[in-house]
Amino acid sequence: MTMEMQKEREKEAKKEGLTMSSDATTVVIDSKMKIRGLKAGFGKSEVLKGIDLDVPQRCVTAIMGPSGCGKTTFIRCLNRIHELTPGAKVQGEVMLDGENIYSPKVDPVAIRRRIGMVFQKPNPFPTMSIYDNVAAGLKLNGVRERKVLDGVVERSLRMAFLWEEVKEELHKSGSALSGGQQQRLCIARALAVEPEIILMDEPCSALDPTATAKIEEAMVELKKQYTIVIVTHNMQQAARVADYTAFFYLGELIEFGETAPLFENPTKELTERYITGKFG
Amino acid sequence: MARLMDLGIDKLRNLLLEMGELSQQTVVAAIEAYHIGKNHQDVNRWSIKLKQLDDQVSELSIELIARFQPVASDLRYIKACMEISYGFYRYGRYAHDIMEVLDTFGDLTKCDRSVVESAAEKTEEMIKLSVEAFTNQDVDLAKRIVDMDDFVDDAYRGYIKELMRSRKVDLRCALSQTLILRYLERIADHAVYIGRSVVFIVKGEEPAIAEKS
Repeated sequence: MTMEMQKEREKEAKKEGLTMSSDATTVVIDSKMKIRGLKAGFGKSEVLKGIDLDVPQRCVTAIMGPSGCGKTTFIRCLNRIHELTPGAKVQGEVMLDGENIYSPKVDPVAIRRRIGMVFQKPNPFPTMSIYDNVAAGLKLNGVRERKVLDGVVERSLRMAFLWEEVKEELHKSGSALSGGQQQRLCIARALAVEPEIILMDEPCSALDPTATAKIEEAMVELKKQYTIVIVTHNMQQAARVADYTAFFYLGELIEFGETAPLFENPTKELTERYITGKFG
Repeated sequence: MARLMDLGIDKLRNLLLEMGELSQQTVVAAIEAYHIGKNHQDVNRWSIKLKQLDDQVSELSIELIARFQPVASDLRYIKACMEISYGFYRYGRYAHDIMEVLDTFGDLTKCDRSVVESAAEKTEEMIKLSVEAFTNQDVDLAKRIVDMDDFVDDAYRGYIKELMRSRKVDLRCALSQTLILRYLERIADHAVYIGRSVVFIVKGEEPAIAEKS
């Protein structure tokens, strides 16, 4: 985006009362989350050094950066699972639809229900069937009616692009599935409790290209209803699926913007060096 | 630390440098042939060679994209190289077309060649600058080419308007010079595109296109 276009968009956004991410090159219209001054770490070590970022609604936002830059810590702060690690500390604001999720009044369990997470390694409950893996969250919340559960299981598996492959063997163990299917099962499990945001921490790093393509296809479909934040080491994956991309380095947000311009013509020298492999 | 992709990028640059030199030589030879009224035998061969080099640039660029998935300045460089390579190839092609005019119309030394000569001089200068701008990644030179475009355009359009106003014309001279001016005008356009591509490589964005009246 040229400077003129950028200025024009900022002017338009201001006129319409829209928000703009602070260190970003992009105006984010309709943000689902606003992160302000987010600092996090473990004991004396500070991993995140004050992140300001707006997460756009119903978009895929990719977080990329070298190992140790704080990507995973960042998304773990977004649904308050970072604080589950002994010695973890968090400071700053994470606003979800205008409410700070770190306010003392907010129940972290309720937040985790609204913001689901898919981890790097597929982790279906090993003793449970495919059906029960998906239904587990609902059952935990007291839903017992078979018809309701059946409906949610099918809907969630369909949205995770897994239904057609498992519909005849729903009572088979979840861990009997292939790695790619297990990861999609985890996505279905996250979807079953109807979250508003899905966080994905390198969901395809252990998968082959075919399984990766299915997850990416699912992401593109899911963003029609959900806000997705994905941490990825794979820049091509970010380029393929993300609408917005953020580049982190040493706990700081270096650049944030629409994916295509960021990959074609990054505004920051550090981003340029990282994505072209000229780092270090 | 050198990256694997750098080997390919260097090869691409060397191909382009070879094309720049050859294309300049080809156009200069064609213009010289026009001056002396005698066909230059090598122009056709060089023009074919430029086409082969352009094909090599395309193949190498696609290979680099497929193997390394370049982004940012690397992607811009490869994209621009493909465009510049095409421009160099077109220089050769129009030089070949000028030779065809000489073949068709024969010796044109008796025509009033002042307009063609001044347009040819300017075109040669633009080609030289385009090759230099690419070789040195020089944005200032590249912008100078963009600013020079009007001269050759005006020469071509002005000549046609002049012909339309004339009551009596030498058809042989008028047709041949119109064609040659048209080819020079196209060469000058490609020099401008190359200049714009050089700006794109260095700055990440192309200069705005000025609207013509």
